[in-house]
Amino acid sequence: MSSPQTSFPQVAGTKIQLTVGGEGPPLLYLHSAGGETEWMPFHAALARQFTVYLPAHPGFADSKGLDQVRDVADLAWHYVDFLAEQRLGPVPIVGFSLGGWIAMELAILRPQLVSHLVLVCPAGVRVPDAPMGELFIDDLARLRALLFHDPDHPSVALAMPRSLDDPRILHWLRAREATARVGWNPYLHNPRLPKHLRRITCPTLILWGQHDRLLPPRIGQFLVEQIPSAQLEIFDACGHMLPFEQTERFVTRTIQFLTATPGRA
Amino acid sequence: MRCFAFHLMPWDRLPADFDTRYETAWTWLPNRLYDPQHGHTLYNRYLDELCLADELGFDGVCVNEHHQSAYGTMPSPNLMGAILARQTRRVKIAVIGNALPLYNPVTRVAEEFAMIDVISGGRLIAGLVVGGGPEYYSFSMNPTHARAMFQEGMDLILRAWTEPGPFEHYGEFWKLKYVNPWPRPLQQPHPPVWIPGAGSRETIELVAARRFGYMGIPYFHIDFFQRNFDLFREAAQKNGYEASPYQLGWLCPIYVAPTDAQAWEEYEPHLFYFAKQLLKGLVVLPPGYTSVRSIAGIHSALSKFLSTVQTRQQVEEGAYAIVGSPATVRDKLLEYGRRLGVGNLLGLFQLGTLPADLTRKNMELFAREVMPALQAVSHAPLPTPLAASGWSVPS
Repeated sequence: MSSPQTSFPQVAGTKIQLTVGGEGPPLLYLHSAGGETEWMPFHAALARQFTVYLPAHPGFADSKGLDQVRDVADLAWHYVDFLAEQRLGPVPIVGFSLGGWIAMELAILRPQLVSHLVLVCPAGVRVPDAPMGELFIDDLARLRALLFHDPDHPSVALAMPRSLDDPRILHWLRAREATARVGWNPYLHNPRLPKHLRRITCPTLILWGQHDRLLPPRIGQFLVEQIPSAQLEIFDACGHMLPFEQTERFVTRTIQFLTATPGRA
Repeated sequence: MRCFAFHLMPWDRLPADFDTRYETAWTWLPNRLYDPQHGHTLYNRYLDELCLADELGFDGVCVNEHHQSAYGTMPSPNLMGAILARQTRRVKIAVIGNALPLYNPVTRVAEEFAMIDVISGGRLIAGLVVGGGPEYYSFSMNPTHARAMFQEGMDLILRAWTEPGPFEHYGEFWKLKYVNPWPRPLQQPHPPVWIPGAGSRETIELVAARRFGYMGIPYFHIDFFQRNFDLFREAAQKNGYEASPYQLGWLCPIYVAPTDAQAWEEYEPHLFYFAKQLLKGLVVLPPGYTSVRSIAGIHSALSKFLSTVQTRQQVEEGAYAIVGSPATVRDKLLEYGRRLGVGNLLGLFQLGTLPADLTRKNMELFAREVMPALQAVSHAPLPTPLAASGWSVPS
């Protein structure tokens, strides 16, 4: 397997950061608010069976274009353009948190571009009796406790800066800004999304951490009731950072689902 | 140097277990801790303290806007400004300021400020502010739009004050078919504009370019004020003029008593109540509120914020508060005022739990034995471009 390559293609005239690696059919990975745009162990594991496309959303890492973004629909349209420029689609999309939200919006907007959805603790929907945690806090220790079931999990170091002196802090601040742009108010959701969920017709696997304190698993229950061909799997001993905390199980389940389930053609 | 009395109108009664039980005095502090009966006493007492400043010969009084906080119980500074317009006779009334993104439509600010200006006979100083970080949580306003909304709001307010209405405004954030505020301000072309800043380059450069007044937000080490005021003077030069000291304001807690020892003994517990309780959990910089580069710079200044200070020696070394006998306070204020190059001193004479009797004694002693020497320091008048842009100096 060749090592992943990072390039800076244009999408509708705006420069973005794109990392591509692996062998096999294409898979689009849409990252979370944390901005996992570096090649992570779970990207590498997925890349054993798929050619993984890992773009950074506008405003994240070295992707430009946040000034063109006002809400999550702008991000969904951005990926309509991205898939056209990359000549991809229909593709399976794995979207984590913010990325899962964008993936749902995209699957509603352009169903023909999406063969399968894997939604990992996706944002995007508010369920009244499942209050969401506060993501936009400055205290990195409290944030770690919010996001991880085990705040001392070895993958914490991969996922987020430990202090304000961490050299990744500028990227992290940019990621927070780009997330706040679409997720501040309404908070991490689109109030109009639930009534459109019935339009997601591709096979959909929803994965959730049982101890997700940012987005409670109750939201997953709601999604599986609303999305016609969806299944929900709850990971125990797992918080919001599911791909980090349970890398092996996440990758195994995702590959199993994508290879065993015929996708929308 | 002109002397202003600034009031935060703080909540002075937090529970004994506040330290261990609550993470913050802002945004999320349960409002059952607010006792309206005590609030009645406090509001009226605090207003009396600002009226006292008028009687004592201060040049002006200042109020500001914070929401959902024990730090300052003044969500509407315009209400206070309106009361002061009637209850004071002489002082400038500096409302610094209205957090523009929180007003919808933002032309309300043009209206309410004009009301205060007309009622007070032209004594308003119009503070326009991006809004403190916590306000973006308290009102769920998107901080990544803060700068752009502030810019659009400020331009629209100045247009509303200076251009004949009605006119149309179709901006990014407000779409208004008829902009035509009644009343118009009494001061022409418009009241002086002051803009408070926490040290971001964006704000400093904006204020210098527009030739308005820049008020340094307090509780930072004195070196951070120096850096920001120096940046302001540089930015003014880039815009082709020399900044006037009257464009700069230094906001600082002040306490005067007959001797240094007495001043510290009386003041210390109240200062540390303020620093440890009321500043606790202040989120200064929500995402996108200012540029990433500015956030990184301010984060390093925050390592020397008043809330991290532990001892009287640190307070004195960083000039976080000026405390002492009249001679001590006078010498320090003259020296720092000269060094910083500021023409406006915005003193906090009440802070945290400082009670009414000590606040009054503080203000009276300051007015009698410190203020005359400060007011005797005169600076070069504002250059003509500033006067032409609506800046005015009290006679």
